[in-house]
Amino acid sequence: MIRAFRSGLKVDLLLLLRSPFDMVGMLVWPIVFASIAYLLLGSANGERVLFTASLGAAVIIMWGWVILGAGFALDTQREMGTLELIVGAPTPLVVLISPVMIARAAFGIYGLVVTLAWGRLVFGIPFLINDWAAFSVAAVGCVLAIGTLGLIAASTFILYRAAFYLGISLQYPVYIASGLILPFAILPGWLRPISWLLAPTWGFRALGKAAAGQTPWPDIGMCFALSVIYLLIAIPCLAFFERLARDRATLKLA
Amino acid sequence: MNSLRVFFAGGLTSYRALFNWLNPWAFLSILVAYPVFQTIYFIYLGRAANTANDTFFLIGNAFVAAALAGMFGMTQSIGGERRYQTLPMLLASPANRLALFLGRALPAVVNGFVVAVLSYTLAATMLHLHLSLDRLGGIGTALLASCFACAGLGLCIGSLSFRTRSITLLADTLSGVFLIVTGANVPLNRLPESLQTLANYIPLTHGIHAARALANGHTLADVLPTIGKEAIVGVAYFTVGIAMLHYFERTARHAGSLDRF
Repeated sequence: MIRAFRSGLKVDLLLLLRSPFDMVGMLVWPIVFASIAYLLLGSANGERVLFTASLGAAVIIMWGWVILGAGFALDTQREMGTLELIVGAPTPLVVLISPVMIARAAFGIYGLVVTLAWGRLVFGIPFLINDWAAFSVAAVGCVLAIGTLGLIAASTFILYRAAFYLGISLQYPVYIASGLILPFAILPGWLRPISWLLAPTWGFRALGKAAAGQTPWPDIGMCFALSVIYLLIAIPCLAFFERLARDRATLKLA
Repeated sequence: MNSLRVFFAGGLTSYRALFNWLNPWAFLSILVAYPVFQTIYFIYLGRAANTANDTFFLIGNAFVAAALAGMFGMTQSIGGERRYQTLPMLLASPANRLALFLGRALPAVVNGFVVAVLSYTLAATMLHLHLSLDRLGGIGTALLASCFACAGLGLCIGSLSFRTRSITLLADTLSGVFLIVTGANVPLNRLPESLQTLANYIPLTHGIHAARALANGHTLADVLPTIGKEAIVGVAYFTVGIAMLHYFERTARHAGSLDRF
C-alpha cells in the first residue's frame, strides 16, 4: 500500500508538472488573488498585513487546487473509463485517491512561492518570515490537512458525473468560512465555529503566526490533528460512497 | 430559412450539450453557487479593505458572472466539438458558417444575462443589500451589452479550438485577469496606467462603469455613450472572432489538424 501511495504521489506530481493548465493556472491565480488584496488594502496597511494577505492567497490556491483536482481527477477517470478499474482493484480506494489530493495541496507550495515572489517583485513586499523552521513545518501541516479535507470531498464526488463542477462551487464558501484574507470580525458570528472544522483556517493561522514570529505550534498541531480526523472520516465515507456507486452502477457513466 | 434553423436549433442543442446536462445540478453549482459566493467573498474583502461600498463589488462581480457564463459558454460550445471529436463533421456540413457559430452566441448571451441577474439578486438578498429597482432597467441594458461583448471574446477564444486543444487554459486565465483589469474588484484608478488603457479595449469595463454610474444616480441617457462603447467592443470582438474562425478553419484543413486529440 505504501508503494502504491508513493507511486501515486509521484505520478500525480509529474502530471501536474507536465500540465499547462495547472502550471499556468497556478501562476495566474495566486497573482490574481494577491494583487486584488494588495490593490484593495493599499500600502497604508503596512507590510505585515500585505504579507499576511499573500499567505492567505497561497492557502486559497491550495484549497482551490485540491477541490478542483478532486473533481477533475475523478471526472477524467470516468471519461477515460478507468474509474471502474480503480474501484475494482484490490488496493484500497483511499490509497489510490489520497495521492491526488496530497500532490495537489503540495503543488500549492509552488503557489506560495509565486505569491511571495510576485509581492516582492511587483509590490515591494519583503519576505517577513521570522521563524523559517516553524514556517516550513506549518506549510507541511497545511498541505496535509487541506489534502485530507479534499479526500472527504472526493469520497462524495465518486457518486456524481459532474464532480468537477461541484468542486468549483466549493471553492469560495471555504475561502469565506476559513477567513482567508478576510478578518473574522467582519464575518457573521455563526461562521466562526464552522471555521474551526476547516483545515485552511488553521493552515493560514499557522503560516501567519510562524511568519510573524508568534507561537504557531497549537495551530500546526491542529493541522496534524485535523489531518488524522479527516482521514478517519474519509475512509468510511469513501467505502460508503463506493458501495453506493457500485449498487447504482454509475461508475461507468461519463 | 435553413440558416435560421441552424442558428436557433444548432444554438439550443449546443447550449444543452454545454455541461453534458442530464439534470440542472451542473448549472446550479457552476453558474449559480460559484458566482454568488464569489460576489459575497469580494464584498467582504471590500468591507475589510474599506475601499468601496458593497454595491461596487455587487455590480462588478455580477458582471464577472455574466462573463464567466458568456465567455466560457461560447468558448466551450466550439471547443467541446474538438474535445468530442465532432469538429470535422461539423465543418464538413454545408451549413452556413455564420448561422452555425453565431447561433451558439445567442444562448451564451442570454445565459450570461440570466446568471448575472441571479448572482446579483441572490448575493444582495443573502447580505441584505438594498436593490434600487428603478435603476434595474438601465443596469440590465449595460449588462446586455457586456454579455454580447463577452460572447464576442468567447468566439475569438473558441476559434482557437481549430488550432489547439487547451483553450480552457486561456479562458480560465482571462477570467482571472477580468477580476482585476475590468475594474470589477479594484477601482480602475488604482491600476497601473498601462492596465487602465488595456481595460478600455476588453469586455466588461465600460458595462461595469455604466452600471455603477446608474447605481450612483446617473440616468440612462447619461451612460448611453458608455454602454455604446461596450457594444462597440462587442462588435469588434465578434468581427475578429468570425475572421479568426474563417482563417483557422482554412489553415486547419490544410494542416489536417482537426482530428488531432
